[in-house]
Amino acid sequence: MTGFRGFTHLSVSPLSLSPHCFLLSSNVFKSPLKPVSKLPSGLLVASLENYSPVSKIGVFVKAGSRYETAENLGVTHILRLASNLTTKGASAFRICRGLEAVGASLSVTSSREHMVYSLDCLRDDFEGAMEYLINVTTAPDFRPWELSDLLPRVKIDKAVADQSPQIGVLEKLHEAAYKNALSNSLYCPDHMVGKISVDHFFANNYTSARMALVGLGVSHAAVMKVGEQFFSTHTGFGAPGAVYRGGELRVQSGGGLVHALLACEGAVAGSAEANAFSVLQRLLGVGPHVKRGSNITSKLSQCIAKATTQPFDATAFSATYSDSGLFGVYVISQADSAREVINAAMAQVTAVAEGSLTADDLTRAKTQLMADYLMSLESSEGLLEELGVQVLSSGAYSSPQTVTQSIDAVTSSDVVKAAKKFDESKKTMSCYGHLANTPFVDEL
Amino acid sequence: MYNLFAFCATRKTVCRRAATSRLMVGFRKWYYNACGFNRLGLMRDDTINEDSDVKEAIRRLPEQVYNDRMFRLKRALDLSMKQQILPKDQWTKHEEDVHYLEPYLEEVVHERKEKEEWAKK
Repeated sequence: MTGFRGFTHLSVSPLSLSPHCFLLSSNVFKSPLKPVSKLPSGLLVASLENYSPVSKIGVFVKAGSRYETAENLGVTHILRLASNLTTKGASAFRICRGLEAVGASLSVTSSREHMVYSLDCLRDDFEGAMEYLINVTTAPDFRPWELSDLLPRVKIDKAVADQSPQIGVLEKLHEAAYKNALSNSLYCPDHMVGKISVDHFFANNYTSARMALVGLGVSHAAVMKVGEQFFSTHTGFGAPGAVYRGGELRVQSGGGLVHALLACEGAVAGSAEANAFSVLQRLLGVGPHVKRGSNITSKLSQCIAKATTQPFDATAFSATYSDSGLFGVYVISQADSAREVINAAMAQVTAVAEGSLTADDLTRAKTQLMADYLMSLESSEGLLEELGVQVLSSGAYSSPQTVTQSIDAVTSSDVVKAAKKFDESKKTMSCYGHLANTPFVDEL
Repeated sequence: MYNLFAFCATRKTVCRRAATSRLMVGFRKWYYNACGFNRLGLMRDDTINEDSDVKEAIRRLPEQVYNDRMFRLKRALDLSMKQQILPKDQWTKHEEDVHYLEPYLEEVVHERKEKEEWAKK
């Protein structure tokens, strides 16, 4: 089966975008980005005609793991795996073979806020392939025997996630940082495997008012016509806002390393404060800019290198959601130098908070952020995700020009303020590994 | 007599319909009682010959229905071993006989045919 991958990711600093074909010859092509339309059923429709031979359509649903309740924790994990099951219009076999026959691929991604179903197909096969996407997102059957056949896949997913300390540390951070909503894990908890009923969650959250239909490489009229097939009268329930609490979760797992993630409450996605946090993140360092290179230009790495000679890695971490965010540092260190490394990382952020920030550093960080952002829009996946997340969260999109301008507008005082916020606010920490020498969050 | 019906209850016979008219109702009731499996407390779908399609359909039964089927089969096997039948008031009545397996079986056959169609392409 081509391209049935379900994987999870965090959405980081969602800002707007503009089609890269603009840069080619904007005087030849008319503006390909049509305004976002809202259908009477509440569905938001956006499309971007980039004259590509391949169309990419995404259905974005506000059905991420934050909308799970205590009775159905883990239902988004099941839904992520259930996208190829029998629907009212097509059997599972037919969906698989039908898409393969035209060379299309259907994939599902879910994050804490959104579920994204994206379909790639050749432009000419758009109509046929869309039928499957519509069936999957609006009319799945959820047959009991098919759902129970998913259990081995759930277990494999969880086993793979358990092997990865990065995923573990991120999930534990969210669990420790929030009281509800955003604390739900992307993976099904052990006690819920095999006991989840999907229908209730589906009926409440997969309503057209909570969906956005985004097309790349299709005409707006075609996408609108498809959008009319999404209709449902159920309005669904609202979800509680996420409440930050700040806490700590430590997982002893042995081994020689410690993965520690230390964060404070950051900014809401799309706000000016979020831009400041993103610039601060780039300032502190987000990993080597040269493939397989050392991280010597990162401020965090420079500071920590003075504290210890043992190998380590440190990056700044930032995540933004629709009503909250997280910002902090992620360090990987040897088990016995964990204390020094974490303290050094914190000292570096404090140094920025006290104003040791040159204009050069700021410009460099801003340029890196702008470049990263614009380059993420170069691929169709990145473009679709940006477009969809923006349209779904705010009902409109801002062009990359607007975004780069707002990044440029970040001043050094904004960055210093952001660093001070990290310094002063209640922190959350999650660590993983051999924790004998790792400080607790109240010792920092 | 019981064996005769069991032998006949291949899927082809099960799927064929007698004419649905008031004249035939009497005949069908007579035939149902004459088959005799109701004297062991069985329903028609309990006696179906289990080939691979039927096995898949049985796998898909909801838990309650499956448990009821197992109970009836166990009871019938027990009676058959003791060479007894149930008292007349406990025989399955024609009106109570539910063709519980039919929808699942139709679905399984439909899916198999779809796969075969695609395999030809």
